[in-house]
Amino acid sequence: MKLLTELNRGLVGENPVLRLMIGLCPALAVSTSAINAIGMGAATSFVLIFSNLVVAAIRKFVPDQIRIPIFIIIISTFVTIIDYVMQAYTPELHKSLGVFIPLIVVNCIILGRAEAFAYKNPVLNSVFDGIGMSLGFTMALLSIGSVREILGAGSLFGYPLFNQLAAATVMILPPGAFITIGFLMALLNKVENRVQ
Amino acid sequence: MLKNLKLAAVLTIFCLISAGALAYVYNLTRPMIAANSALSFKRSMGEVISADSFTPGSQGCYLARKGKETVGYVFPVNPAGYGGAIEMMVSLDKGGKVIAVKIISNKETPGLGTNILNPKFLKQFSGKSVGDKIKAKEDIDAVTGATISSNGVCKGVRQALELFGKVKP
Repeated sequence: MKLLTELNRGLVGENPVLRLMIGLCPALAVSTSAINAIGMGAATSFVLIFSNLVVAAIRKFVPDQIRIPIFIIIISTFVTIIDYVMQAYTPELHKSLGVFIPLIVVNCIILGRAEAFAYKNPVLNSVFDGIGMSLGFTMALLSIGSVREILGAGSLFGYPLFNQLAAATVMILPPGAFITIGFLMALLNKVENRVQ
Repeated sequence: MLKNLKLAAVLTIFCLISAGALAYVYNLTRPMIAANSALSFKRSMGEVISADSFTPGSQGCYLARKGKETVGYVFPVNPAGYGGAIEMMVSLDKGGKVIAVKIISNKETPGLGTNILNPKFLKQFSGKSVGDKIKAKEDIDAVTGATISSNGVCKGVRQALELFGKVKP
């Protein structure tokens, strides 16, 4: 039961993007299309889950004074691994995500969860926390990416939905990201108020 | 003192483990990454000239062949743009006339300099040869707001034409 709470937290109540408003830089920059959003979500999830796992596993051996440098070594190791793996297996996706893959290192969701959760909790709870946060992040990115791709390019996952001339290019550009995330946050608040 | 040494030792151990893991993954993925970039290089060459195969020639060029006959040349060049090197490919026919220009990668300003990718701009180079000026704002219409980027592409085409002169004396 406890594990389920860890999992749920990241989805709605403490959704990193739509609630805590952290990790906004990749969330806004890469969510120009649904496929980019999924790719970024998957890469970040890999790093987040494994860094939570490792940080929780070694937390007893890590001296307090140097915990942050050690977190960063762990996180950057996983980021570099996913960077190599994506270059090898999904070169197209890797190219379209560009510099935002190496920048996962400084995604504050990951360091934040290592410091606030994994460093103080057992391995299994930390893994579930990582999965919950990852799903929350990926779902937020996917909803932003889908809305922007539909309105801005007239397609979803690359499949054309309507005449592209009717699409509003602004939605693909940076302002579209801010407009979309604003509306999604409002929607989430509304839904949660209803539920309560 | 002893405490600090301990901290340093712990940090060193973590760095060593990390380096080891990265070396392992790097060796595992390196052949595939190299194959991918070779494949995309070849595909890009196929986009600037139609040919069956490409063989490396002198001056860094590639000979485009149909059967055994050489139908043209592809020159990969990296002229300086506004934000860094512009990686591009220029294909020439046997007479030294530009067939097509393709930008592989660039670090130009998004929305301004990146418009050098516009086919309308790149098509202007087709048919140019070593005797042409190939200068932005003279015989080439520059991309609006991106003269330096446009000049970069012009310079790349001129480089390719110069190299062609050295290949065929």
